[in-house]
Amino acid sequence: MAAPKGGYFGKILEIDLTKQQFKTRPLSDETARAYIGGAGLGAYYLYTEMKPKADALGEDAPIFIGTGPLNGTFCVATRTAIVNKSPYTGLLSHAEVGGHLGNEIKWAGWDGILIRGKSKKPVWLFIKDDTVQFRDASKLWGKNTDDASEMMLAEIKDPYARTAVIGPGGENGVPFACVIIERFRAAARTATGAVMGDKKLKGFAVRGTKAVPVVDNKKFYPAAVAAKQLAIDKEAWQGIKRWGTAGLLELKHWVSGSLITKNFQTTWYPDIEYIGAEEANRRFWKRHVACNHCPVHCMKLGVIREGKYAGLIAEGPEYETGGLLGSNCGVSDFDGMMAAIEECDALGLDGISTGGVLGFTMECVQRGILTPKDLDGIDLEWGNTDAMVEMIRKIAYKEGKAGVLLGKGVDRMAKEIGKGSEAFAVTAKGKEIAAHDPRGDKGRGYSYAMGTCGGDHHEGTDAQTLATWCMINSLVMCSFVGGYPWGKEIPGVFTEMLNPLCGWNMTGDEFWKAAKRIMTIERAFQVREGVSRKDDVLPKRFTTEALPEGPKKGAIYSAEDTKKMQDSVYEYFGWDGNGIPTEKTLNDLGLKFAVADMKKAGKG
Amino acid sequence: MERDDHKFPDVLSKETTRRGFLKGAAAVAGGAVALATVGGAASPKKAMAQAPKDVMRYLFAERQNCTGCRACEYACSVYHTGVVRPSVARVHVLKYRGVVDVPVICWHCDDAPCIEACPTTPKAIQKDKASNGIILDEKICLGAKCLKCKEACPAQFIRVNPDKGMPLMCDLCGGDPECVKACYAQSGNPQGPCLMANKLGFGVNQAYRDVTPEEAGEDLYDLLFFPSKSGGRR
Repeated sequence: MAAPKGGYFGKILEIDLTKQQFKTRPLSDETARAYIGGAGLGAYYLYTEMKPKADALGEDAPIFIGTGPLNGTFCVATRTAIVNKSPYTGLLSHAEVGGHLGNEIKWAGWDGILIRGKSKKPVWLFIKDDTVQFRDASKLWGKNTDDASEMMLAEIKDPYARTAVIGPGGENGVPFACVIIERFRAAARTATGAVMGDKKLKGFAVRGTKAVPVVDNKKFYPAAVAAKQLAIDKEAWQGIKRWGTAGLLELKHWVSGSLITKNFQTTWYPDIEYIGAEEANRRFWKRHVACNHCPVHCMKLGVIREGKYAGLIAEGPEYETGGLLGSNCGVSDFDGMMAAIEECDALGLDGISTGGVLGFTMECVQRGILTPKDLDGIDLEWGNTDAMVEMIRKIAYKEGKAGVLLGKGVDRMAKEIGKGSEAFAVTAKGKEIAAHDPRGDKGRGYSYAMGTCGGDHHEGTDAQTLATWCMINSLVMCSFVGGYPWGKEIPGVFTEMLNPLCGWNMTGDEFWKAAKRIMTIERAFQVREGVSRKDDVLPKRFTTEALPEGPKKGAIYSAEDTKKMQDSVYEYFGWDGNGIPTEKTLNDLGLKFAVADMKKAGKG
Repeated sequence: MERDDHKFPDVLSKETTRRGFLKGAAAVAGGAVALATVGGAASPKKAMAQAPKDVMRYLFAERQNCTGCRACEYACSVYHTGVVRPSVARVHVLKYRGVVDVPVICWHCDDAPCIEACPTTPKAIQKDKASNGIILDEKICLGAKCLKCKEACPAQFIRVNPDKGMPLMCDLCGGDPECVKACYAQSGNPQGPCLMANKLGFGVNQAYRDVTPEEAGEDLYDLLFFPSKSGGRR
């Protein structure tokens, strides 16, 4: 159990909110090398330290905020991984978010933060290098994410600290509440907001002044520069630089045929010209914002110039938020869409799930299953942005009958409403899916159905890329600088950086083995919670309804497609026909401790 | 790293016929379209290299262009300490209200209030005659006890090294600032780079340096995000 030589500090910060204490847990080089960091390390901790079927909102339920070895070094690794058991789906979930927070945690000398316990009073944490201050958050409680993060920075008088906060959505226990990092970035798909709200933890700010140890800087530095240059040189990335991910809105409508529209009824949405990137460029965007050390600067900030929402500063539209809160709700009013997006950010709600819920409700209204009477008199017709903004506020505060109903999420809503609404409840593993229609873009089916969290757009497009993404999420990098641009050069680019950084001699084979290990431990957690082959499917709508129009007219996700997808993934990772990791695989990957659990799950 | 594929055509320097002028104009227009649509990096690096080297150098920050990526901090700390450590980077970026980024640089004032404020004899802070960089002599500097220079800096540029308590001074990397190179390598259209060297003399920079980072942030915030008519802020 040697301490890591480089890349890691070898320290995990353990915070106990009940006792308001913190301590250091060592991280050994072996563990680090096996699970890398971020999502992988989080999955390992959660698997070994949570009992099967433990309460996601229990006293002991941990939140892991993780970094990878490359964070805080010259390599462009900007993200922060947040791992916890989601109270929404009851499964292990991880979210990765950009910004500067992850690197700041690293510079503070920590490889990750494990938060446990429950505070009696609202509290927030200020982590400065080796010290942790528990601060009173009674003034911050109830504030939206913008104000709360401003007030935190003002209180500590350190404008260079980075923040993560929850909004009223998380405080009120909305199951798809998220954490907002640095005011505009959301770690959204894990329901961490609800867990933090339950722990009475409003947020935390981090400031670090250390440097990450590097074993062989002479080799590492040129490798990192070369890896970054690969991303800069890639011609396709110039488009993301210029248009952000919003540029994909038009692209997916005109070319790929995978822009979700009106609760996934079609992928053809000509009104995209009123809410897409060109419109945003014309009337909204003001500046480009980059994550730490990133040459791509895909985030766009803008301000609404006139009309009802004049003066509103918002981020986006991104592809996911513009798709879910735009075309998925049939919106053609740009300002209204931006107001809805900013409302989600400010109240700390996951824009993807909120858009999914609103789209589903709108279809219920379209089909006469729900009427404005059931929704507190709010007329949720396609494209009614005023009603959307009002409804988002109601969801966050659980206000009225409608706020409580919509705050349950699509799956539980469909069960409660009935009347055939289950047929168009579009969820995977109990969670609303992101903005790529898998009928037009078949690869995304893997991410939604086979990925660990379910409904997530960040988990790969075939068996091999599922493994790649495991590593990217564990190294906590961004696909725009560390995934897609490197393509065939993976894993060479990674190992060339990791070896001189950490003093390892990792080969390509070991890289893929680590990827499989991480994927399998995540899977083992889900299997322990009762997931098997029957859950690795796409929602009914994609398998029964063909696309009615658009470039991929007639496309459907057939039963063969599903079978092929499941079989290829099970085979690649060495799981049995039911999607349960076999004993041989577990032994090969050094996951002996999971064998008993998997045997039990296989029988049951 | 040399990129000359996105150079602006140099129309004015050539003596042109009418026809040639039209061609040049078309090239400019075409270039503008290409830049607007594709978004390549407009890198005047080549032009910079050709310009005669001045003895005196200044930094300049086009604040509106900053994306807040902090590549300048990375480059600065790598040059001065060998590792990435933004807390000891001289140049730094302030995120103001989570909305705008303000690059905070040393303007290398001709009257140098920091040097004037330095109480030691001989002065611990001195200007390098060749490069115009500010050089700190750590043997003479009183460090955390004094920090008169930090108080004197009108731009609030000077930060303190968390290890030694010494002020962090911009020495312009001996005349070839790393932050500027990093910013050029990082930037792309439509913003273009933010940090520049030798762009302007001190006459203009003086107007910038009496602004604290927070004030500059407030200015940028008003400039970029205040709606043109009636509408108030959220």
